[in-house]
Amino acid sequence: MLVPGLAPYDAVSNDTLGMTAALRALGHEVTVFAPHARDVAEAVQPHDAIDAWIRGEDDVIVYHYCIGWDFALDLFRRTKARRVVRYHNITPPEFFVGWSEGYVGACTAGRAELDAYAALNCELYLGCSPFNLEDFSRRGVDPARSAVVPPFHKVEELLAVAPDARRTGNNADGAPELLMVGRIAPNKGDLALVDALTVMRRTSDPRTRLIRIGKLDPNLERYGVAVREHVREMGAEAHVVAIDDATPGELRAAYAAADALVMLSAHEGFCVPLVEAMALGTPIVALGSSAIAWTVGDAGIVWSEPDPHLVAMSIVRLHTDLMLREMLRELGRARYRTVFAPAALAKGLEAAFARFAA
Amino acid sequence: MSSSRADNADANDSYLERVKAEIRAEADAARMRAPLPRKEAPPPRRAESLSHDGTIDRARRDYTIAELTGEHYTAFVDGAFRALLKRPPDEPGLEAQVRLLAAGAPKAEVLGNLRYSPEGRTIGTNVQGLMPRYALAKLGRVPVVGFVLNWLIAFAGLPMLLRHQRAADTRNAAQFQDAQLQAGRIADDVRGTNARLDGVRSELGDANARLGELKGAFDQRVGTLEARVGENESRLADVPSLRHYVHAVNHWLVSLQSAIDGIEGASDANKAYADSLIAAIYDASEVAAARGARQAAWIEALRGRLGSGARVVDLGSGDGSWAAMLAGLGADVAGFESNGVLAQRARERGLNVAAGDPLTALTRCNDASLDAVTVSGAATGDAFATLLSESARALKPGGWLLITAGEPRRLGDLGGARIGVLDRPIATAMFGAAGFAVDAAFGGPDAVLARRA
Repeated sequence: MLVPGLAPYDAVSNDTLGMTAALRALGHEVTVFAPHARDVAEAVQPHDAIDAWIRGEDDVIVYHYCIGWDFALDLFRRTKARRVVRYHNITPPEFFVGWSEGYVGACTAGRAELDAYAALNCELYLGCSPFNLEDFSRRGVDPARSAVVPPFHKVEELLAVAPDARRTGNNADGAPELLMVGRIAPNKGDLALVDALTVMRRTSDPRTRLIRIGKLDPNLERYGVAVREHVREMGAEAHVVAIDDATPGELRAAYAAADALVMLSAHEGFCVPLVEAMALGTPIVALGSSAIAWTVGDAGIVWSEPDPHLVAMSIVRLHTDLMLREMLRELGRARYRTVFAPAALAKGLEAAFARFAA
Repeated sequence: MSSSRADNADANDSYLERVKAEIRAEADAARMRAPLPRKEAPPPRRAESLSHDGTIDRARRDYTIAELTGEHYTAFVDGAFRALLKRPPDEPGLEAQVRLLAAGAPKAEVLGNLRYSPEGRTIGTNVQGLMPRYALAKLGRVPVVGFVLNWLIAFAGLPMLLRHQRAADTRNAAQFQDAQLQAGRIADDVRGTNARLDGVRSELGDANARLGELKGAFDQRVGTLEARVGENESRLADVPSLRHYVHAVNHWLVSLQSAIDGIEGASDANKAYADSLIAAIYDASEVAAARGARQAAWIEALRGRLGSGARVVDLGSGDGSWAAMLAGLGADVAGFESNGVLAQRARERGLNVAAGDPLTALTRCNDASLDAVTVSGAATGDAFATLLSESARALKPGGWLLITAGEPRRLGDLGGARIGVLDRPIATAMFGAAGFAVDAAFGGPDAVLARRA
């Protein structure tokens, strides 16, 4: 298992460790390699030691492809082992133009490797979603060498923690509450989200709040300033609760209090917060971009356009229509059980890896 | 099962689509009511030039002419102030330099004016190549010499001027294109605003029409109410006489209630008095002794006929002395006594004796539920017939009916408690007709013991 880095509360790290555990449970011997690892319960080996561990053609290298990394590409070009590209997707650089030249460069470099990986004709291209696999199918990768397994996650741990509403509040006044979870970045639709909040406050309930949970990379500070300015222009400073270091208990409380998880991101390779919302019974209102429509399935209100009025009226409807709310909660829980629960993921992984059994 | 799940999924999809259509309609209405101040998110910021960012790099002391002349008009003058004098331009200074530019002065002259001003010399910023160009610009202002010099410079600079002219044309075309785009956006906004205004105008028209309808309906309702008020006013004229009648009827009802209370009070007092007389009879020592002797004979007759736990109803329990004897046989006894004074005494002895009409109590017993019915003070006439029929109904087959004379034994009716002495041959015939067999072995003088067939 090769990954550019491991850290807590990171989707790629959670997938790497979850997949490692699932493969071990299937009887495979698995070792994790990474240039750096922080606060993870796994004996991680240095990435440049991986050559010494490869014994021959029976071995399988699973590379978690989420940024540009020369080392991994070189390894895949020269190794005798069988190769699995676990593709988490890379945000197109256009989203960062004007906000961060560093991100533009990193994303450009990351996506530039797509052609090279497609040309390698690896034994398996393992996408987190059908949307991710489109990047390879467009480059001529044989569908028989492709499979979709949603990412492993820590949602079960989230279900087990007690809610901590000290910072998020428990919505005691009954005001409508929007929740957005994910890092603050130009592709995440924060500006549209503030617009939706504004529409709700102007047309429905002036008390409406937005709970925004996620970190802002200092390299995207310019975008953070633009979001804060937009909030100020809309007069919504007192109605946005931004938490950049939420604990699992606080995340649980936020999901419990919210009328809906509002996901207006324009680009997602999978979007784990949607799975968290389904498991915790929080209805979803989303923009059906990229992988979002597939991840949500029938378990949410999905729009094809990022219209703040549509989003706002969806929240109003959810806030007042208990029948709709209950129906979406049930559909979400059902989709989690059948598609995204750990047992379902392990089963999908076993089926995808069955090709290596011979 | 799977078909049912598919049906549910289809139903959910259909319901969700309907909800989404409703939400879309609500969003359209909300968009008309409260449009956002702008439709697009703010564009990404770009790195800004020296003259635009409002900052002053005080440490920098070296510039090139090209760096300082990239901007035009006020932006150029603003940047020159910040670079050469390390401060924003004051209003008169800005105006003077802009006026120079408007009069055709080269940018190098403006830069030189600032750089070689006393303030500029104190700061001492170096602008490469500025001095000769500034000197030429100033020399160009000298009469005759300046005229010739300008001609020479202009002639020498013709190729450059042509190049600048072409560049200016391109720049103007680009700006014109930008202006057109901007105008297009403004036109779109105006069209949007007009559309919203049309919508608002239409809504206002609808609202006015609705208001007219409501006003008509309101006027009609007011007319109806006024007519009814007129009718009610005429009716109200009769109210004083009606009030008189109501008061009179009320007074009569109060009097009637008072009279009824008096009658009921007298009846209750009479009943209590009668009860106390009968109780007095019970208290008489001779009567009590005679009763005790009779009851001793009756209880001996029942001993052996009633098993332990037998359910017995005793009608006319008196002060409970007979019920106590029955209980002594192990029977489960429920007694009923119409005399309130005696019933109270029985309860004070710890016996289950209720105050009330004994015959009514018998009619409330279940069919074939009793092992024995004992009666003290037999009823007469219709009441006696009811006693026999109800006893036959309530007794189990083989159950016992004991009817005895009460107290006083020969005084006839008193206080509603009818008392008689039974004639054995008549009783035998009557009991036989009612489904009982009189026990010939029981020879009590004032009692009959019969068994339910």
